[in-house]
Amino acid sequence: MKPFKFIKIGLPVCAGIAFTLLQFGFAGEALAMDCPAATVADPKGVPAGKYPQQYDRDEFESLAKCKLSFKANPDIAKLNKRIRGNPDLPPLEQRIPEDALVVAPYDSIGKYGGTFDMLSNATEAGTSDFLAVRHVNLVRYSDDLTTIVPNIAKGWEWNDDYTQLTFFLRKGHKWSDGHPFTAEDVEYWYENLSLNPKVFEKPKNYVLVADKPMTVDVLDPQTVRFNLPAPKPGLLVHFANSYAQGFQPKHFLGKWDPEINPDADKMAKAAGFENGMEVLSNYYGNSDWTDTPTPMLRSPDKVANLPADTMPTLESHILISESTEGRHLVANPYFHQVDTAGNQLPYISEQDEIFVNEDEVRLLKLVNAEADFKAQSLQLSTAPLLLENQEKGNYTVQLRPEVTLATLGINMTHEDPEKRKAFSDIRFRQAMSVAINREEINQAAFFGMGEGKQYVGFTDSPAFVDDKWKQYYAQHDPKLANKLLDEMGLKDRDGDGFRELPNGDKLVINLQFSVQGVAAALMELVGQHWGAVGIQSTVKEVTPDEYRSAQSSNKLDVTVWRNGQPLSIVLGTNQIFVPPYHDYFTVRTNMLWAEWIDSNGASGIEPPDYAKKMMKDITAFQSTPVGTMESDKLGASLVENLVENLLFIGVVQVPAPIYHRNEVKNVVEYKTHSFEYYRSYPYRPTQWWLDE
Amino acid sequence: MFHFLQFAATRAALAIITLIMVSFIVFSLMELVPGDCAERYLAFKNTQGSQISVADIEAERVRLGLDKPYVVRWGKWIVNAFRGEFGDSCILRLNISQLLGEKFYISLAICLTSLLIAYLIAIPVGIISATSKSPIVNNSLRLVSYLGLAMPNFLLALMIMLFSTIVFGDSLTGLFSKEFRDAAWSYERLMDFLSRAWLPVFILGWSATAFAIQTVRALMSDEVGKLYVLAASARGVTGRRLLWRYPARHSLGPIINSLGFDLNRIFNELPIVALILTLTEAGSLLIEALARSNDQQMAGAIIFLLTASIVGINFVTDIILALTDPRVRRSILG
Repeated sequence: MKPFKFIKIGLPVCAGIAFTLLQFGFAGEALAMDCPAATVADPKGVPAGKYPQQYDRDEFESLAKCKLSFKANPDIAKLNKRIRGNPDLPPLEQRIPEDALVVAPYDSIGKYGGTFDMLSNATEAGTSDFLAVRHVNLVRYSDDLTTIVPNIAKGWEWNDDYTQLTFFLRKGHKWSDGHPFTAEDVEYWYENLSLNPKVFEKPKNYVLVADKPMTVDVLDPQTVRFNLPAPKPGLLVHFANSYAQGFQPKHFLGKWDPEINPDADKMAKAAGFENGMEVLSNYYGNSDWTDTPTPMLRSPDKVANLPADTMPTLESHILISESTEGRHLVANPYFHQVDTAGNQLPYISEQDEIFVNEDEVRLLKLVNAEADFKAQSLQLSTAPLLLENQEKGNYTVQLRPEVTLATLGINMTHEDPEKRKAFSDIRFRQAMSVAINREEINQAAFFGMGEGKQYVGFTDSPAFVDDKWKQYYAQHDPKLANKLLDEMGLKDRDGDGFRELPNGDKLVINLQFSVQGVAAALMELVGQHWGAVGIQSTVKEVTPDEYRSAQSSNKLDVTVWRNGQPLSIVLGTNQIFVPPYHDYFTVRTNMLWAEWIDSNGASGIEPPDYAKKMMKDITAFQSTPVGTMESDKLGASLVENLVENLLFIGVVQVPAPIYHRNEVKNVVEYKTHSFEYYRSYPYRPTQWWLDE
Repeated sequence: MFHFLQFAATRAALAIITLIMVSFIVFSLMELVPGDCAERYLAFKNTQGSQISVADIEAERVRLGLDKPYVVRWGKWIVNAFRGEFGDSCILRLNISQLLGEKFYISLAICLTSLLIAYLIAIPVGIISATSKSPIVNNSLRLVSYLGLAMPNFLLALMIMLFSTIVFGDSLTGLFSKEFRDAAWSYERLMDFLSRAWLPVFILGWSATAFAIQTVRALMSDEVGKLYVLAASARGVTGRRLLWRYPARHSLGPIINSLGFDLNRIFNELPIVALILTLTEAGSLLIEALARSNDQQMAGAIIFLLTASIVGINFVTDIILALTDPRVRRSILG
């Protein structure tokens, strides 16, 4: 918008250029409706709004002194036809909320079109990398990873003691099938799905506050309020970084719930299903994960009887086909974001995902530029090959630090009582920790680019984490390890070079792992280091599915996965301090403690006092405003109990590669290589475009 | 005729008994894998926030019928298996028949095509190699054949992929292009499939051909020197006519007999090749189920279907053999 600016500066200038000015003046008149194509790199004089890199429509128009006119993907009608069950499209003005979210692209206003190609491991494995590319939630972490900004919600408001969180939604916001999105969809997700025992047998931790449910009030169609039974400033954080979206389409899913629609079961039977809840589960997967199989995969013989192949979404793209080989998506014609030039996002018309579960094949495909983006499942060991071929393959690799580090959890609730006794002895865990030569692992497996560390929970090391914990029992000291093991009575009785359990039983530790969790070389070396102090182990790689299933059914001697969360995440979710210390999808340990807690002591194994103390501390920690003396004291106590008892043994923290093809535009430098902020979500993939 | 029918009936009965016995072994192997379907299923339920106790696992076992005696469950499994119904996959929680669907036929088609091509090449080439006196022909055939035998299939697949990636910029993976991946079968989809399926067929076919050439050559070499061949040539039968009518016909019996075994050998090699080429067919699914996800239901179903195919082919080859060779027909047990 140069003419515009020119007039402002130009008017007081001498009459010598009056003629030129007049010409520009006309141009300025004609363009007065259009807005400057402001980007993050070149804001074109538009001042920053309330939040970084994005504006509300009114806010943008008044700051840029212009009026946005909207444009849509020229192929959007064609794409819409491929979404089975979607009616024909109304004009664009009726598809975008009145107060649309205006986002400033990083470098350039994009061009529409293209297919974004992606690799995942399997239907429900290794998919979050791709899910995050189309993900939306009520709010979002900005790319500085500290500021929370609006997304689906237009804004929010806390009351003074953090017990009421009110979200304001966008007027005219619509689901991908054109049905209005309102506060009732938030209430429906909470009351009818999250707390419904027919959907989730037990509510997930993230929908509870101090283990008690909240209540949700619909104040008007665009205002919804969460009433918390106790203060929890971290609830907002949850809606910024979690995969779990705080809304679901009531108009669509509700009609299959007999409690909402009395005809639900009848309709379901007519479509060949047993009852309405079965249909609901087909669509929703009874999970907040957005990669659960849809009816297209789950009930391919019956999906044609249903009104749509998949449930409507607010995300940037919607699924149109799914098989065991992969999935295909098209742009959501009702997406609520526009760029600063008024173009409705997303720019990219289609997305395609194929499943590749073989590391070498994945690497070959990336070197060959057969995918547009990949971060998950790429570990540092792949970096040399990827970097070497960057120019030839026309792609870019960023090496960014992970916020997690590889950890080992020794199972103190092992099914075998002898092993349980040994593993519960703190000396055993101390010995296993100092037996590991972290520097050798760092050099051999990570080119010396990592850092050997103890696991302290908060991986961003806030000030209350005392330095002594970061290297606690993390030195390499096989002598000490041998001494501790000898003291425990783990002696080599049969002379095979390996120690037996005190009762004479053979002790062989089964080190099962998945490369999605940790590098294979790391596990091989850990196995060798343990062998060097007389602890025999077998190292075996399995799929993520198999690993998770074995871990949660308490079948493992040692659990192994990347672990750790930054402070901002811990404020919203307590899981790394409460048995089993993380969710199904990452690392867990001491499963039977969790069972004891869940069953109120009826079954399982009673956790020790320090574990109970941590549970109390984390609840208090989350209710206390962060940065206060009291909060720091609670934080320090959490770290002390966690590290002193070596619930997890930290190994090495490393950077990892983030890959994108150079044809993908507006990709910014990532701060971390991590799941914790939901992967790409802070870096706004909705404004990516393909320059092909 | 009576002999033939008796022979066919006996063979059919034996085939079914073999299949039942194999299914028992398959089922027993599935039982040996640690953790049963109830545990795996509940481990998933756990992700939904439900608490899992030992009692829950027991209840699930009862629901799935896993508390019944081993033999009873096998009986039920085998009856369902003969009806083509294998239940749900433990890990994927999807119906196995629907999941496998065309995948098994694709695998079978790839293997059978490799086998067909192998013998189309091996029979003439093997005969030439056995009877030719030219050292150049003999040695070059031997070289190609030994290469096929000695080079592991996965290495060949990787080399072709690497070559293609460097030269053509295409890693040649997958069975369908993405336009056709989820489409219904059509002429275009078939062409798309064929444009990709040639690679696994070629890779599997090479070693199969090499093996088959060796077999044909050895059998022919044995027969060519025998007296009846000499006698025939003394009566003035010469050249190709002599070879086809006398020694080749005799050599054919053992070859037909070993077709089922050959199919098994090719199918054994398929999963590794499939894994490397990321083919989504039953072979890669089998290795995934066996080696990585421990999905017993899935692995059992694939192994059962494979065994059924091999037993079926053996039955067909026995019948063909009986038709071509009266000696076989007369001896009831072959």
